[in-house]
Amino acid sequence: MSAAGSSNPEYVVARVRARRGSLYGDEEYRKLVRMSPPEIARFMEESTYEAEINALGSRHGGVDLIEYALNANLADQFEAILDWSEGRVYDLVVRYLRKFDAWNVKTVIRGIYTDADTEDVEVDLIRAGSFDDRRIQRLLEADSIEAVVEILEDTIYGEPLEAAYADFQEADVLVPLENAVDRAFYDHLLGSLGGDEPTRQYERFLKAEVDFRNARNALRLARSGADLDPADYFIEGGELFDRATLSRLAANLDELVTYIADSTYGDDLGDALRELEEADSLIAFEHATDAALLTYGDRLGTIHPVSVTPIISYILAKEREVENIRAIARGKEAGLGSDEIESELVIQ
Amino acid sequence: MAKDVKPTRKNLMAIEDRIELSERGHDTLEQKRDGLIMEFMDILDQAQDVRSDLSSDYETAQRKIDMARAMEGDVAVRGAAAALKEHPEITTQSKNIMGVVVPQIESSKVKKSLDERGYGLLGSSARIDEAADAYEELLETIILAAEVETAMKKMLTEIETTKRRVNALEFTLLPNLYENQEYIEQKLEEQEREEIFRMKKIKAKKEEAEKEEEEQAAADAAAETEVEAAD
Repeated sequence: MSAAGSSNPEYVVARVRARRGSLYGDEEYRKLVRMSPPEIARFMEESTYEAEINALGSRHGGVDLIEYALNANLADQFEAILDWSEGRVYDLVVRYLRKFDAWNVKTVIRGIYTDADTEDVEVDLIRAGSFDDRRIQRLLEADSIEAVVEILEDTIYGEPLEAAYADFQEADVLVPLENAVDRAFYDHLLGSLGGDEPTRQYERFLKAEVDFRNARNALRLARSGADLDPADYFIEGGELFDRATLSRLAANLDELVTYIADSTYGDDLGDALRELEEADSLIAFEHATDAALLTYGDRLGTIHPVSVTPIISYILAKEREVENIRAIARGKEAGLGSDEIESELVIQ
Repeated sequence: MAKDVKPTRKNLMAIEDRIELSERGHDTLEQKRDGLIMEFMDILDQAQDVRSDLSSDYETAQRKIDMARAMEGDVAVRGAAAALKEHPEITTQSKNIMGVVVPQIESSKVKKSLDERGYGLLGSSARIDEAADAYEELLETIILAAEVETAMKKMLTEIETTKRRVNALEFTLLPNLYENQEYIEQKLEEQEREEIFRMKKIKAKKEEAEKEEEEQAAADAAAETEVEAAD
């Protein structure tokens, strides 16, 4: 459970493969989209989510129970993967799972900012990242954002948060802090990867994730018409854009769409880009990038069976399962039709 | 009512003055009511449009937030919402429509750009942006609806009041005044007729008395003549 020691991909992959088998497939999703939220909870109770549904059943109900159970299960599964991992495998896995640390830091900061109850903040945390329980407890007990910055000073978020704290104090909005946290995550996602062929493939996947994130943000900026410098939101490490290109393209939506369509991602995102031009909504584009990432992730899992890639592939598939079940339950709650819900699912 | 009025010429003149004033007031109030109704119809059209916008904006916003909650999770949506402490503000001024003071609501900090919403751009998604956009749009429509519907309510109240005043003048005050006027006029005419009749009677009596006197005088003169003749 640390970056120290020798790498143990064989063991982790074996454990992950066993778990992969219990992920929901097409058949389960077909059943789920025809169920009501209580039926979905019941269905989950009879599968891998039993422990979480039973543990949270007395505190939450309806779709909230489903969502909290999904988050708790996700956290348990990823925490277990980190527990099994050692050496290089741990380093490669944790850099992706740190997004949950980023999520938890942002949640705690938001809680302090809005004077929310500690209990309310705690239930919204997803303990799937690298932070141990002690650090999370200290974060929950922090009574000021300054204290949070102090608690995180020995992590990758320490310096960026410290630098952004002055901006936060000046403007009294969380944007600088949130961006600093997310940027710290992305900066460490691709840093000093190197290594063998599976790692290079993993790197390509991460680069695709960064490219898609840059593309999404550029499109959001271009569509919002806000007077913001796209370069401030540029994430280093991707292959599709450099800072100058992104700044130039974000000023013109059409040019940006053409640029993405002409790139190596054009085939995967072509339909979504056409829809974006027609429907004036970024949702389809985000949906397409999610699907493309899942395809990349799935491909990763099959090329090098004993490496970090099947682990990452499982992590992505598990995340997607959680997102799909939540989408079905929330969609049902909102009264969406089965077809509409199915169109929102990303199933591989 | 009419019986309470003393049928004097002075009262008749006072009632005639009141009738003139009331008729003038009635015409003015009728014009005001018609003007208010025309203004109200304009506001009503506007209110109907705003209502329909409100309804569609609400549906859109609800749908967007439902989709955001479905795809990003309720926790993420609540988190994004919690990243902002600052609330939109409204200031109210008033304007005058045909004597009716209606509010004029100015809103600020409703529409926000991506960097003003509190949540970081790097870790959020377009679904949350679209839900926020839709709710900002909805909030602006709600504020406009509040302005238009308050104006509409105030106009309605004023129209009702004016209508009641017009009706009170038309169906109560003016008929009573007309009735009083007629009553006094009739009474005065009756008094005049009685007066003429009385004068005629007096004249007749006077003439009869004069005639009797003349006859008496004639009889006396005849008797004197007879006495003188006998002597």
